[in-house]
Amino acid sequence: MNSRQALRKASAGGLAALATVAAVLLLAACGGGSEPEAHPISTVAAHPDIKITKIAGGRHSPQFEAKLAEEKTRNPGPASDLEPLPPSRFERPVAEYRAYSEDEARAVGIEVAKLRRALAAGDVAAAKRDWLAAYDHYLRLGAAYGALGKLDEEIDGNPGRLPGGAHDPEFTGLHRIEMGLWEGEAPARLLGPTDYLAAKVRRLRRVVGRVAIPPLVYATRAHEILEDAQRDMLSGVDAPWSGAGLRATDDSLAATDFVVRTLRPLLAGRDSTLEPAETELARLRVALERVRKEHGGAWPRTEALSEAQRERVDGALGSALERLAAIPGALEVVRTRPVPTIAAQAGRGR
Amino acid sequence: MSSDRRSFLKRAGGVGLGGLAAGYGLGAAGAEARADESPARQAELVNAAELSATRGFDGVHQAGILTPAANFAAFVALDSIAGGAGELQTALQNLSSRARELTAGGAYAVSEYDAPPFDSGTLGPTIAPDGLTVTIAFGASLFDGRYGLAARRPAHLTAMRAFPHDELDPERTGGDLLIQLAAGHQDTVAHAVRELLKPVRGQLAPRWTVAGFQGAQRGPKPHSSRRNHFGFRDGTSNPDVTDPKVMERLVWAERGGGEPAWTADGTYQVVRAIRMHVEFWDRVGLHEQEEMIGRKRDTGAPLGGTEEFENPRFDLDPKGERIALDAHIRLANPRRPATIDQRILRRAWNYSEGFDSDAQLNVGLLFVAFNQDIGRQFVAIQERLNEEPMVDYVTPEGGGYFFAPAAARHPGDWVGSGLFA
Repeated sequence: MNSRQALRKASAGGLAALATVAAVLLLAACGGGSEPEAHPISTVAAHPDIKITKIAGGRHSPQFEAKLAEEKTRNPGPASDLEPLPPSRFERPVAEYRAYSEDEARAVGIEVAKLRRALAAGDVAAAKRDWLAAYDHYLRLGAAYGALGKLDEEIDGNPGRLPGGAHDPEFTGLHRIEMGLWEGEAPARLLGPTDYLAAKVRRLRRVVGRVAIPPLVYATRAHEILEDAQRDMLSGVDAPWSGAGLRATDDSLAATDFVVRTLRPLLAGRDSTLEPAETELARLRVALERVRKEHGGAWPRTEALSEAQRERVDGALGSALERLAAIPGALEVVRTRPVPTIAAQAGRGR
Repeated sequence: MSSDRRSFLKRAGGVGLGGLAAGYGLGAAGAEARADESPARQAELVNAAELSATRGFDGVHQAGILTPAANFAAFVALDSIAGGAGELQTALQNLSSRARELTAGGAYAVSEYDAPPFDSGTLGPTIAPDGLTVTIAFGASLFDGRYGLAARRPAHLTAMRAFPHDELDPERTGGDLLIQLAAGHQDTVAHAVRELLKPVRGQLAPRWTVAGFQGAQRGPKPHSSRRNHFGFRDGTSNPDVTDPKVMERLVWAERGGGEPAWTADGTYQVVRAIRMHVEFWDRVGLHEQEEMIGRKRDTGAPLGGTEEFENPRFDLDPKGERIALDAHIRLANPRRPATIDQRILRRAWNYSEGFDSDAQLNVGLLFVAFNQDIGRQFVAIQERLNEEPMVDYVTPEGGGYFFAPAAARHPGDWVGSGLFA
């Protein structure tokens, strides 16, 4: 039994939910006034059909079970003793995602071609719009955390990793062009980097539908795309010249929405993972749209956010991430090989 | 370098610092908490013993290198603004002189009531040494043309370069000098930083500082490694500091070769302020966390093992069935004959500096490595770690490479005197 399974076994989900039900009923009986709202972590919302038989069939007294349940609720981990999924269940979601990412890659290519035309015509305003559109589609592809390896670095790499930083001759791709556009570099000088980018995007279109995505990696993407937004985009690290962190977060949200949508059939009935995640994703969308509206319908630069706006967006994003992080655990797949111990390996060597 | 608490207490009783021990209710033999004392009294005695501990300043090697990592530390990087080599020497003398006083502890007198007092007084009228160590090191930039020291630059000392996943902030990186302060309590460290800056304001300009702390000793064994912000034990596989031969091979500067003679008994110090994205980390399954590190989070044992200091036996697991081939512990110390000379003496403190602009905790690890040759040791290890999965959860943001020379040999000497001899 691996460690994650052990954790699961240690916390029987139904009991935790039952304790919450009991608490809610108790509050209602006391006439506490307003309707108590279920905590988002609570499994009640998604499991209205929790069966009392679980306790009746338990090995301990109801009092002891209730105490256990109370203890468990303090550690609301992936409360589940669900059967691991066969990897084949991921084939369809991954295929859907591949088709989606091919569409997005094609859209990146179209925008980069427009960008090149705008640069050739010396139209910086149009070039900025085209750049933002290309960046949007690339992020909507959801290639977080090295999914595309070196190609991702070539298209979307930041200069921080290069010895010469932004002035390093190796600095190229989307952000090289971004720097030039927003720092007033002559458009003609950006044609070279744009041709390089176009070549890489052509390559992206060829490979994106064929990249191997193991089940756990795909499930993890449900929160990692937005983790990336939290770490690099809202902070302004990723697109410092255009200040596009907020729209980048919106793009990451779109990519996450898509991934979660493909996982819906797998998540149905597995813990209470799907509903809270979707609720929080919707709240994040509302928070982002509200900020956009407050800025006259256009995405503001990250540094133009007021303290209150930033707090709302950070809060909604953080809360969404907490719910999304439960998805990989709920979608655990069958492990083919148990992890050996040192002693077992030593014995085998003899 | 003296590091024995009890012998200090005994000595203290005989050399006029008796007031110090007495101030904490201690006789010469008072450091030992006896079994028949009440718990409260025992705690009082333990605290007094900790406060009275001294790690010394003068000797062969500077204190704070082989010394076990104290509970609290601060790193202060300074740039020299001294007008010439003579002025720089004076500043270094003043630094050593004040550091010596602070590490020894003792009472100070108020001479002139109308004058600003000699000491800030934040530790009271009698300064408890509290195991304070002050370790002074030089950065590569000190060996530029300003002070005629270019020919004396230690052979392996360069500016720290950015590794592929670094986001080095120039305002938290490098410096002509680095002072590492470590002690048993946070107020001791903060006091020492404040006092040490006072006599050198005109010559050494503050560049950056970071304060750190160790997790409390929570067992299960007295020598169990402390935990970092990821909840994992840190620094488990360290070479044996009590073995002088090992230290000569891994820590102290080589004699001869390309090293200038003045570097003898010194060591290279690597400091890295590594931001840890803990919110993200906390959203990662325990299984994945342990696979990334290669150890169990609770015990610190290598995966498939039972005890923290157990050999991970990579030799039995060449395909990574038990510990992934890119797990942190395997890349950091592969334990192969070819990598024995790459080992470093590892120290670490956690830091915690509030929130960043996006309400994320700005916390991380103050990674410290002492080694004989930065290229052969630290850089070789770091290059293996460039592609470890953990890089998504950490961002090195500051630090630098420094050379910590030999200690002041005696109270008339000062750290760095060899550089000007």
